[in-house]
Amino acid sequence: MINILCRNPYGLKNHKLTHLVRIMKLSVFLLFVFVCSGLAENATSQNAKVTLNKQNVAVSEILNEIENQTEYLFLYNKKNVNVERRTSLNVTNESVAGILNKIFSNTNVSYEMEGKHIVLSKHDAAITVTNQESGRTLTGVVKDENGEPVIGANVMVEGSTNGTITDIDGNYSLQGVPAKAIIRVSYIGYLTQEVPVKKENTLNVVLKEDTKTLDEVVVIAYGTAQRKSIVGAVDQISSGVIEDRPVGNISQALQGASANLVIQQKSFNPNDNSVNINIRGISTMNNNDPLVVIDGLVVEQSSMNNLNPSDIENISVLKDAGSAAIYGSRSANGVILITTKKGKKDEKPVIKFSGMVGSQNPHVLYKPVQGYENAILRNQALVNGGSAPIYSPSQIQSFQENGDSEWFLNQIMKNALQQNYNLSISGGSKNSTYMISGGYYDQESNFTGSNYGVKRYNFRSNTTTEYQRLKLTTSMAYARTDGTDHTSSTGTLIVDASRIPVYNTYSMKDANGRYLVNDVLSEFNPLGILEAGGKTMKDEDNFTGSVNADFSIIDGLKLRGVFGGDLRSNHRLIMRKQVPFYASETATVPSGYANSNRETEDYNEKVLFLNSQVMLDFNRTFGKVHQVTGLLGFSNESYTRKANEIKKKFTDPDLGIPVSETEILTSSYNTPNGTIQRSLYSVFGRAGYSYDGKYYGEFSFRYDGSSKFNSDNRWGFFPSVSGGWRVSEEAFMTDYREKFGELKLRGSYGILGNQNVDDYQYQTTYNINNNAYGFNNVSVAGTGFTFANKELKWELSKTFNVGVDATFFNNALYASVDYFNKRTSDILITPEVPTVYGGAVPKYNAGEMLNQGWEISLGYRFKKGDFRHNIGLNLADSWNEVLAFDGNEQISSSDQMQRIIRVGLPFNSYYGYKTDGYFQNLDEVKNGAIPVGATVQPGDVRYVDRDNNGVIDDKDRFVLGNAFPRYTYGITYDMSWKNFDFSLLLQGVGKRSMFLRGELVEPFHSNYSYTMFTHQLDYWTPVNPDARWPRLAAPGTASNTNNYGKSSDLYLFNAAYLRVKNIQLGYTMPKVLSQKIGMQKLRGYVTAQNLLTLTKNGFIDPESTEFGSNMGNNGANSGRNYPTPIYVGFGLDIEF
Amino acid sequence: MKLNFLKYSAVAVVFLASLSGCQDLDLAPTDKFTEANYWTSAEKASMVLNTAYGQLTSSGRYFSNESLSDNMYEGRGNSSEKMISSGQADASNSRFSEEWKNSYAGIKTCNVFLENVDKVPNMNETLRTRMKAEARFIRAWLYLQLTTWYGDVPLFEKDITLEESKSISRTPKAAILTFIYNELDEVEAVLPTNTEYAEADRGRITKGAAIALKARAYLYQNDWANVVAACEKLIGNTSNGTYALFSSYEGIFKPENEYNSEVILDYQYVPSVRVWEEMYDLAPLSVGARINSKAPTQELVDDYIMMNGKAIKEANSGYDESNPYKNRDPRFAATIVYHGAKWVRPDGTIQTIYIKPGSTPSDNIYGNVDEYIGAGSNSTSTGYYLRKNYDPTSEIGMKSGLNLILIRYADVLLMYAEAMNELGKMDEAVWNKTIRPLRERAGFTDAPSLIYPTEGNMQTIIRRERRVELAMEGLRIFDIRRWKTAENVLNGYPHGAQFGEASIDNGYIRLEKRTFNAERDYLWAVPLSQKDLNPNLGQNPGY
Repeated sequence: MINILCRNPYGLKNHKLTHLVRIMKLSVFLLFVFVCSGLAENATSQNAKVTLNKQNVAVSEILNEIENQTEYLFLYNKKNVNVERRTSLNVTNESVAGILNKIFSNTNVSYEMEGKHIVLSKHDAAITVTNQESGRTLTGVVKDENGEPVIGANVMVEGSTNGTITDIDGNYSLQGVPAKAIIRVSYIGYLTQEVPVKKENTLNVVLKEDTKTLDEVVVIAYGTAQRKSIVGAVDQISSGVIEDRPVGNISQALQGASANLVIQQKSFNPNDNSVNINIRGISTMNNNDPLVVIDGLVVEQSSMNNLNPSDIENISVLKDAGSAAIYGSRSANGVILITTKKGKKDEKPVIKFSGMVGSQNPHVLYKPVQGYENAILRNQALVNGGSAPIYSPSQIQSFQENGDSEWFLNQIMKNALQQNYNLSISGGSKNSTYMISGGYYDQESNFTGSNYGVKRYNFRSNTTTEYQRLKLTTSMAYARTDGTDHTSSTGTLIVDASRIPVYNTYSMKDANGRYLVNDVLSEFNPLGILEAGGKTMKDEDNFTGSVNADFSIIDGLKLRGVFGGDLRSNHRLIMRKQVPFYASETATVPSGYANSNRETEDYNEKVLFLNSQVMLDFNRTFGKVHQVTGLLGFSNESYTRKANEIKKKFTDPDLGIPVSETEILTSSYNTPNGTIQRSLYSVFGRAGYSYDGKYYGEFSFRYDGSSKFNSDNRWGFFPSVSGGWRVSEEAFMTDYREKFGELKLRGSYGILGNQNVDDYQYQTTYNINNNAYGFNNVSVAGTGFTFANKELKWELSKTFNVGVDATFFNNALYASVDYFNKRTSDILITPEVPTVYGGAVPKYNAGEMLNQGWEISLGYRFKKGDFRHNIGLNLADSWNEVLAFDGNEQISSSDQMQRIIRVGLPFNSYYGYKTDGYFQNLDEVKNGAIPVGATVQPGDVRYVDRDNNGVIDDKDRFVLGNAFPRYTYGITYDMSWKNFDFSLLLQGVGKRSMFLRGELVEPFHSNYSYTMFTHQLDYWTPVNPDARWPRLAAPGTASNTNNYGKSSDLYLFNAAYLRVKNIQLGYTMPKVLSQKIGMQKLRGYVTAQNLLTLTKNGFIDPESTEFGSNMGNNGANSGRNYPTPIYVGFGLDIEF
Repeated sequence: MKLNFLKYSAVAVVFLASLSGCQDLDLAPTDKFTEANYWTSAEKASMVLNTAYGQLTSSGRYFSNESLSDNMYEGRGNSSEKMISSGQADASNSRFSEEWKNSYAGIKTCNVFLENVDKVPNMNETLRTRMKAEARFIRAWLYLQLTTWYGDVPLFEKDITLEESKSISRTPKAAILTFIYNELDEVEAVLPTNTEYAEADRGRITKGAAIALKARAYLYQNDWANVVAACEKLIGNTSNGTYALFSSYEGIFKPENEYNSEVILDYQYVPSVRVWEEMYDLAPLSVGARINSKAPTQELVDDYIMMNGKAIKEANSGYDESNPYKNRDPRFAATIVYHGAKWVRPDGTIQTIYIKPGSTPSDNIYGNVDEYIGAGSNSTSTGYYLRKNYDPTSEIGMKSGLNLILIRYADVLLMYAEAMNELGKMDEAVWNKTIRPLRERAGFTDAPSLIYPTEGNMQTIIRRERRVELAMEGLRIFDIRRWKTAENVLNGYPHGAQFGEASIDNGYIRLEKRTFNAERDYLWAVPLSQKDLNPNLGQNPGY
């Protein structure tokens, strides 16, 4: 690896990330930088030792050998340095300098070591050089297929050591070129070109990209490795996937980016961008969150979303035990490794600017029926239930004649501006690099009202400095997030606005600006709350900093110390302002208020996450073919959270300050109530061996001690082994390799841990609750207790992974397939306790789950004429099964939804009755099985009588489906044509069940909703027997109870979807033109996000879910989501 | 996998890290006590007892119990109480499981308290004994709730283990009652009377409460002699506490009269910090309520007699169907808001409540939100709203710190009257000790309504008196179940005011039909989930 790297002395190309087609290539380069910047595990060559035994060979051969064994690259002019001279040498573990001293002693050749380059020159120009070849001087430009100059490309005369490298504009000048020479031009990432010299003294070369992805350098735990040597399931996502995307944070950008990296965006509210992140599905009944590591530091998952997406170099997703076990007790759910951008050595400053502006348009997927239509439907529902109609024919006529008012939901939503600007400067000198960036992200809310939205400011500085054997890397990042939100709940605002009929008699605001309520919107008026109800203001500071010191002890052995911290300081101020609501335009006394208590609340939280690591890192190749790597480290992670909150009510309506009537709410608390501390000590290590680039073997382990467990169960040992075989490297596979391409088999097995359980559970605790009771009108505190489980210990995941990597068509097609099987035991579960026991008992290690799945990733690129295409596809699935559970079964319910945990089923499956169409006539009603106590009529739901006992009861329930996404996929298509580029990102889910209740399903839901929606019109009537929905019957009626009162598949929807996540069209100004206005690059583009979603049930966002990433839920899903916005905008990328 | 090397390495790194300020692995919570430092003071012990007090009941249950009965109708939603009252409940009904769960949670708190309070050093023994008696009362209260709803239930006097909870079987109701009677006898002997407690202790369980609960326990078993015996300890006898009817019926439930002479046990709330807000969905909308979730039925309204002492359907009662609220029992207006009722706003202004459809004057400054519209609207489903327990000092959102009375002296009088009548001992003297003072206090002045009636069914009179006196206090459901009249009054259509279509039920709003299966519904089901976890529990008939 290092050889290839260092054949490119400048290490990098200097032009911009012009085309997405080149993502892969670029990521290779950027990774090189990463390697060179010292976080890599390979030693620099300063102390490289070489072993040689050469008799009577050309000096050039010795130089080549040194290049092979070390990272050094020799640069010399053949005219001046005679490398054909024959000599002999026998050294063992000799330094390069020592060898050079030997072979060039008594010659006129001197050497100078500059970084990884050794420049040979003659020390006396006057001395006549022997063997000087006559020949002409050849000049030219080396460019890539896009016409961009290739900087630092090797230009050599074939069969000689006469060569040079291209300069910053791609120019080269080669002297002494023989008449019939063949010029070999090579550069990492491109296919080497061999061009015969013709008559002209100019030879321009266009290099074609080499799609050898197997040479890609991939960030792994505590280091990097070449793609071809990776034997675990590791996916690397390059910066191109993240850049220039109008997303609020990284998690959003990662959707669809990697197979089995399942991301569900539950809300698009800029102040609540909640997403579920799962790697390889659900493996435990507890916390399934992956571990997040940024630049080598373990951080909280929330810190990931504070990163500026444009600072990200790449993201590695570690999926299997082999690659993740070194993270031990937290790795069972996979690891997300994020690497930020660094500067490059010997690079002049590069200034980049990117800006993006667009509009997020709220896209409500359902709409109410017309007013008069709704009145008729309402009457019908009442009459069907045996009640009197409530609208008279004249009222209905009036609704029809006078037209509808604007739907309230539309009145509280607006288009929102989104802006994103980034500016960075990066570069480096001989011994240091720097990258400084700043970013600004501003997302308005789609709610009308007081400038709701979120602003984020990012600042980052990454620098590296080398001093002899020491290399220091420092990284500092600061993120500030300012959020302004309403004082209510988003779901409440949306539901209050959406279920009001569009009758022309209703309005939200009267001529005097007073907010109105009416007979169906009697408590709050959402517009009033948004416009006058005060604000929730968050300001969050996040500072992450780390110092990383690498010290080279001997060749191949380094001592590394990393010390870093993630400091978050969050403040939230809520000022609730009282809003009066009037029952009519003539009412003079408010009928009610929102925020009547005028609370002012402050919340302060400080989180410090300290991370210290010391490790020894070894990497040597013996006898050319035996590569040995080793790593041994120690670390501590200490987490401290402190929070306090003060709440006051009846504060001054304008300032929120205390006045005479102000009271302090007793839910206020001081720091001891808001403190959490935890600590984790670890020893970890890795040992690897590979033979001749064919066979790879690796062992890694971690030994963790956690404060979450009793001292007897505190320490856990987590080992893994993995192996790989590059079959195509075998001699007998030469034919195959030439015909098809690379082929690698790999596998891993390991035991991972999960300690993501609540703190202090091994101790019996007594917690004091304020205001538990009162005597004589004075409140008193009460004590509750939580019994301990002293036996609490880690969850263990035994993970097996096999995979195949292959390339085809001269590396144009890259394919990777993985299968995994993960058995998690000792899962901490809350036992189902008979309620006679009287309380909860703590979790104990009793559950067991099996989680399996597969992943396919394909990449294909081809070029036709001026068109270049790059297609990426990832497709994955995971499915789990509960193997052991306390009592074997647990059914829980939220509203109508019931879910079940049962041995043999996927975790938390939907459970309930199966519908069997509708009763079509009285005969069917008479003879059919109906629920206990129910009265049904034709048009009502008929349930399957599973046990055929003539009654529908609990025994007739079925397992109805599961809410975790299956067959998740992402498709990327990038295309460029001349200076135009186009990209498309599709993302979707192949199979998912979604339980949805509430007004979007049940007409006039529970008497809380007053309008029907257009998608509900296909209801049963005698002339519409095959309807989608049962007959209309008012809430509270027996029919309604039968139809909508049960957990049944009437509430279950197919949530498979295909979404056009992002589409982008760009144009890059030809460099000759942009340079005239002082820019190295100027690209403009238009982009759209979430433009189109194909799904079976168009009235609800298929990503809407009640479940979090652990398949835990707070209530059932009522579909009261912030509308999924459609973003349309444009952007500019400029580089100076 | 105990590798020595790793252990030593780990020890080394712990040592190194501790030098650099990293946290230790033995961490204790900063906001909770642990076993080691909890049972150390009387104050901390009393906080466990406070938790038990809070588990006596809840405001939600206080009001939803009423909608289980024929007094109240739930017009919105499909709550588990609605399912029970309409006859559609099965064994998985969540009220069945919640009542069971909450009761046993309270019993656990009591047991944990009783088993640990002796550990507290240097505690005043009198206080310790009293607090134990309070806990035992709460436990007996909860067992009475359980056995009244479910019949046989598991009975235990010591905290049980998880294993025991998975196999325990149900104790026959008779044994549970014996336990309750014995416990109440014992705590009665220990507990102070209401006058012996310091003022700061108002709200604590008293000797009188123990006696009154015992009377209630016997009443629910129709054990009339023991009801009489218990009641006689409180009527005309101040050695067990001093109780008397409060001067104003409406005033009993006003915040300024908390802890009045009539209160024997009330569930404590504290303004602003410990509040209930059910009235937000019960009071008229124009006075600040949000919606109307449940409302009084016409059947209850019809049981309020006329000022002349006659039931409305009695001859010469003077009842006028077109002006139905005139000359009615004053307790009616104090309990229920009807069309045309006056409402005193907190600022003293008087407002008329317009419920009849289309009756609101166009210049009404409060709008027309109280009007009956029909099924599925925000306003009342029956044409009535609730007044009793409305707290004019409540915060917006009807967050009230008003105590909810669980046992009051009027109940004792009514229990006594009923028991004496069932024993055949009802006479003018008993009448004059019980029903008459209740009616006088209510505001009846017509002699015929006060004097001992010579005609009519005394049982009907007493039961009707009990219904209206205690309406909306969560007790009706237990009465109709012990009288075995639930199968009559909870079958068929409940009704609202005469605002409906004239062709149906004479214009009285016809509400959703209820069914009551006498074979099944007098006992609640053992919660399905509990039976599944512990098959030894068995099930009540019909589920």
